Amino acid sequence: MKVTTLELKPNKAVLKIENTKPYFVNSLRRIMLSELPKLAIEDVIIYDNTTPLFDEIIAHRLGMIPLPTDLKLLTFRDQCTCKGKGCPNCTVRYTLSKEGEGVVYSGDLQPEEKSWAIKEDKIPIVELTKDQRLILEVEAILGRGKDHAKWQAVQAPAYKYYPIIEIDHKKCDLCKKCIEECPKNILEIKNKKLSVKDIEKCTLCRTCMDVCEKNAITVRGDENKFIFRFETDGSLTAKEALLESASILEKKYEELGKLLKKLK
Amino acid sequence: MEEELERKDRNHIGEKENMIIPVRCFTCGKVIGPLYEEYKKRYEEYKKAVEAGEKPKETPKQILDDLGLERYCCRRMIISHVDLLREAAPYE
Repeated sequence: MKVTTLELKPNKAVLKIENTKPYFVNSLRRIMLSELPKLAIEDVIIYDNTTPLFDEIIAHRLGMIPLPTDLKLLTFRDQCTCKGKGCPNCTVRYTLSKEGEGVVYSGDLQPEEKSWAIKEDKIPIVELTKDQRLILEVEAILGRGKDHAKWQAVQAPAYKYYPIIEIDHKKCDLCKKCIEECPKNILEIKNKKLSVKDIEKCTLCRTCMDVCEKNAITVRGDENKFIFRFETDGSLTAKEALLESASILEKKYEELGKLLKKLK
Repeated sequence: MEEELERKDRNHIGEKENMIIPVRCFTCGKVIGPLYEEYKKRYEEYKKAVEAGEKPKETPKQILDDLGLERYCCRRMIISHVDLLREAAPYE
């Protein structure tokens, strides 16, 4: 197996994975969706809410905020030594209090410790007019995507076969129909020959194949080579999310291996 | 004029909904909450330029691209949103 990064930003990654099969890439994708832990607001204690939105709506909006997650410092509440009571090892607390004209942003949530300050601080929660008030306290805990979407750290993880476009230059009469039809504009004529500009942009839609009267072009996917892309919501960086997912997958196989050894 | 305003504030089935921009995209979960205000500001500029008969600095398509909204699920969250919270605001 060979992995190359095509793009790596704090919140987005595009990888090229070679010499593998769809089931392997898919298992990584599914771990990202459902097993990768992250921090999210679970309990909201509302002291005063005179805003036009209901308590429940505000609590729901708070739950969707991505909180910076340091997986080394936190444990799941049900596995914690405090036995589910909520201690600094498993719970992060924030308070919010705002009164009078203005928008309440996610950044108005004040953490107990500065290291937990919310990075995505411009998410509007509710708008206040004069005399309106919102005072509340929240507890955030670790969770997994399979329990609720608010604990899903990775958005839109997806893979596609690496495109292979074969052009038969003997059959091609340079009619330019495929160039016009291609939705991603990846075909061009260079040195009087039809060629591909950026093959990684190809979505394997085969419009060029359908439109070509001479059957000079064939598009297929390489079944051992993939382009894998995903985004994170900012609670983990793309690199952290990927490494953590891989180690979760590894642990799962180790567990399976141990169980299989016991058989017989 | 008043009737027109009323209609503009309703969605295609005539319901008033989405008081405030959702935090995340309904489909993929991307955080889109913070982008709405900026989109609106830049869209107003575009609208002003078009109404004055000038060439706008950027089109709504370019604004959405620049905000990093690649997928159409996130783009529709922004362009189809009707902000109504201010109208409901006096009622607690």
